[in-house]
Amino acid sequence: MLEMQHVSKVYRTDTVETHALRDFSLLVADGEFVAISGPSGSGKTTFLNIAGLLEELSHGSYRLDGNDVGALGDDARSRIRNEKIGFIFQSFNLIPDLDVFDNVDVPLRYRGFRSDERKRRIEEALEQVGLTSRIRHLPSQLSGGQQQRVAIARALAGQPRFLLADEPTGNLDSEMADSVMALLEGINAAGTTIVMVTHDPELATRAHRIVHVLDGQVREPADHATAAAAPRPAAGLRAG
Amino acid sequence: MIRYYARLAVLSLRQTPLLTGLMVGTIGVGIGVFMAALTVYYLMANNPISWKSERLYAVQLDSWDPAEPWDDERPELAPWELTWRDAMALRESDLPLRQAAMYKVSIVVQSEREGVKPFQTEARVTDGNFFALFDIPFVYGSAWDRAADDAGQFQVVISRKMNEELFGGEDSVGRTVRIQDKPFVVAGVIETWNPVPKFYDVNNGPFDDAEEVFVPMGVGPALELYSAGNTNCWKDEEVRTYQQFLESECVWWQYWVELPDVAQRAAYQDYLDQYVSDQKTLGRFPRPLNNQLSNVAEWLDVRRVVRRDNQVLVVLSFLFLGVCLFNTIGLMLTKFLGKAPHIGIRRALGASRAAVFRQQLVEVGAIGVTGGIAGLCLAWLSLAGIRKLFPGYEELAQLDLTLVGTAIAASILTTLVAGLYPVRRVCATAPARYLRLQ
Amino acid sequence: MEIGPIWRAAMRNRTGPLLIAVQIALTLAVLVNGVFIIQQRIERITRDTGMDVENIISVQSFGFGEEFDKNDSVREDLEALRAIPGVVAATSTQHVPLSGSGWGNSIKPAPGEDAPTLNGVRYFMNTQAVESLGVTLAEGRGFDADDIEYPEDVGGAPRQVILTRAWADELFPDGGALGKAIYDNLDRPSTVIGILERMHGAWVSYDKLENVMLIPWVIPGRATYYLVRTEPGQRDRIMPQVEETLSRINGQRVVKGLETHEEIKAASYEGDRGMAIILAVVTALMVAVTAVGIVGLASFSVRQRVKQIGTRRAIGARRRDIVRYFLLENWLVTTGGVTAGSVAAVAVNYWLVTRYELERLDPLYVPAGIVAIWVLGLLAVAGPALRAAKISPAVATRTV
Repeated sequence: MLEMQHVSKVYRTDTVETHALRDFSLLVADGEFVAISGPSGSGKTTFLNIAGLLEELSHGSYRLDGNDVGALGDDARSRIRNEKIGFIFQSFNLIPDLDVFDNVDVPLRYRGFRSDERKRRIEEALEQVGLTSRIRHLPSQLSGGQQQRVAIARALAGQPRFLLADEPTGNLDSEMADSVMALLEGINAAGTTIVMVTHDPELATRAHRIVHVLDGQVREPADHATAAAAPRPAAGLRAG
Repeated sequence: MIRYYARLAVLSLRQTPLLTGLMVGTIGVGIGVFMAALTVYYLMANNPISWKSERLYAVQLDSWDPAEPWDDERPELAPWELTWRDAMALRESDLPLRQAAMYKVSIVVQSEREGVKPFQTEARVTDGNFFALFDIPFVYGSAWDRAADDAGQFQVVISRKMNEELFGGEDSVGRTVRIQDKPFVVAGVIETWNPVPKFYDVNNGPFDDAEEVFVPMGVGPALELYSAGNTNCWKDEEVRTYQQFLESECVWWQYWVELPDVAQRAAYQDYLDQYVSDQKTLGRFPRPLNNQLSNVAEWLDVRRVVRRDNQVLVVLSFLFLGVCLFNTIGLMLTKFLGKAPHIGIRRALGASRAAVFRQQLVEVGAIGVTGGIAGLCLAWLSLAGIRKLFPGYEELAQLDLTLVGTAIAASILTTLVAGLYPVRRVCATAPARYLRLQ
Repeated sequence: MEIGPIWRAAMRNRTGPLLIAVQIALTLAVLVNGVFIIQQRIERITRDTGMDVENIISVQSFGFGEEFDKNDSVREDLEALRAIPGVVAATSTQHVPLSGSGWGNSIKPAPGEDAPTLNGVRYFMNTQAVESLGVTLAEGRGFDADDIEYPEDVGGAPRQVILTRAWADELFPDGGALGKAIYDNLDRPSTVIGILERMHGAWVSYDKLENVMLIPWVIPGRATYYLVRTEPGQRDRIMPQVEETLSRINGQRVVKGLETHEEIKAASYEGDRGMAIILAVVTALMVAVTAVGIVGLASFSVRQRVKQIGTRRAIGARRRDIVRYFLLENWLVTTGGVTAGSVAAVAVNYWLVTRYELERLDPLYVPAGIVAIWVLGLLAVAGPALRAAKISPAVATRTV
């Protein structure tokens, strides 16, 4: 359902040209759980931005659900992000002044649902992540794991075609990371496609399939062994 | 440490020029407008004879119409002026230390001096005591005596400026000047005297210049001079001849007395009440007893010398200052929240909460001083504008040292009040929060 | 429309919105009252005086010397003034209308104590009075040469008078004042021979400003004023000629106070004009400061929330959704401010009315002020809102 062919992204300034992605091709089928793995600077974040329609691609094609989304205008891309993609960010990106209910509500408002429809979806999503009891709490009153689960609920509430996760456990301790990953696995088992970007190779193994990225290109799985043997980035350093 | 903090303050303010400019500008505008309004009000409300104002009293007798009060909207008021009969009668009392009856006239003056054409001017007909009553110093000569008042002798006291015009500034005592084509002998020349406001006669223009020519009380009636100030009559009586005018119930005389202490004042009040009661038996004073003694401050107040418009402007400009205050709080919040990492580092390096608080207060104070200076410039400009709009306000729209001090103090105070919340908020937060690099 | 969440978020971070709301409240209070007062003053200054103010010159003559004969002097002076080319008419008067100096007068429509007394101002004028003032004679006639009297004192009652319609209507509400008699306080009659459509008297704050009486007398005393009306556009050229003519034909008097009637009227309204200008400046400054405050807070709030805005865009907000969010947020704050401000405006006005005897506010000014502030808020927040909309959704994935 997600098809990228020979996508490249070039950042140009007055002096420098950076090829963040080159000849990047990817095929994700319905229901898959794919991990995009690679070290810092490999282009993972750029991929994420392109896949999530947060940025435009320079060359190549990107088809989502059979539709060419590579050259759409800002309004159309916003709508697709709203209806078809669910984002999960590394630092949760919850709005600090809104409680849990209002946070999950945000994308639904842009969707145009009526108030009873929104309420239903929010309650369902929070039940799915197990946070119904915290519905009126503020993000500052929640642990990191709970905040991420609220973010997941926010992503699920619109019943997206796929979830796009950026280092979903990057800011969590191992216990919370485990429970969030379990949640994601459960969501994927129930039928939602998940594309997860990570620098942590161990985390990547929890997906069905790993796509390795290096220097803006996809590398063959054969390099997987090489990548595994290569020194891991030091714990605590943020990648991407 | 203050100097260190001051240096830090200047550095910090220079780093955010737009924000600093806005803060100084907002405070400046608020203080400028407020100070301009306050200056005019302060000068208008001035008591020009403050060292003596408690002892000087304007006399009012309610000789007015039984059918309606002197002022419909303020029925408790007595007329501002007296009849000639009452003024003459009051002069017979020796209770006051000094006293003077008076009224304003319009006259023509002719000088012996070459090239000085006859000119028309205003003069005050009054008792010789007028000058001692109001502490007016003499340059040459002295006032005339009581006999001159009673007889209406043709003597005159002129101002220094008038003396320059008529006699080239020399000692003119004994020289002659023609007034209403009669020869008047100069008895004295007084120093420049221009009280603002013209408290002793606020009837027509409380901020007009004082008269420059003074003649004895009796001269007015002798030359049949009508008042060039206000004359008001209520009674249905024939007033055709000047004699009838003198004997009528028309009020046109002003009366001031000096009563050195409270006991004297009480005694004089009794005297006035007794006099009016006696007059009632003669069929005069049909209204209830209502004799008033007002000292200078009370007089200026009851006469509403400070115009309503000015008072309204003071209030509105105070509200404006309020808006500027709240605006500055917002700007300071922005400024200091931006400084949070800086403060966090200082705290991490060991500064106490109180120390950073003091440091920021110095910065706030610096804004206050700069804003005050900006405000003073704006106030000065505004007052220049006001002088242009109101040509008669020359003396009323000037900054003096007290006002300058008030402006700076008000500015610092306002800024400190505005800065309390933002500074407190930033200094009180745990330093770790702002040190996190995120 | 996300009013609920916006409100809840604003309540959790109250300080900024509260500061703006307070500024708006105070500004509305001052704006409404300020504009009201300004409009009142302008009305006062521009109201129709009935006279041809732009073309009238006034000058004073003050006789001295034993040989000065006022009556002769007035006759000679008027003849000479009227002879100046470009002069339409000239007359004598003891005071100049609108100058702040005048003689009050009380008259009754019938003799006796029960008749009502109505007050106004009187002017002792000469032939050509109506033409010199440029007033419209609604009924009757002006003064002829035969009407002019030279009484020995001012204590008597004139035989004939001209009244303004305002005063005539007060005296005779059923009309027909022309030809009737009016009475002074000693029940002496004067006949009304002419009625002026409108004329203003001496004091601009007097509530009976439109009650004016003209009397065909030359009164005793050494001083008199002359009113000289010129052809349109000729006034400034003729002004020096007026002074020169008078000085030339009689040296036994002082010629002074040469002024245009425009200057005299302007001096009387100096207070009103000054107040209007000052108020306009203060009100404008206040609005400007508040506008800057709104822009400042909105800009600050956008900068603080860059990550949040990017996230909203990432999860589906279009650019116009972001703009709408900030406009709505601003509108909520502004509305809070104008609600409090309306109360404040009425309170300030009440206090001005009771303490300073100003006029009660026309209620329409408050909603007008509210609309103005809404528009102001909208314009002020437009810039920051548009800048917010430009924030890229890719901001959401940045980790710095």
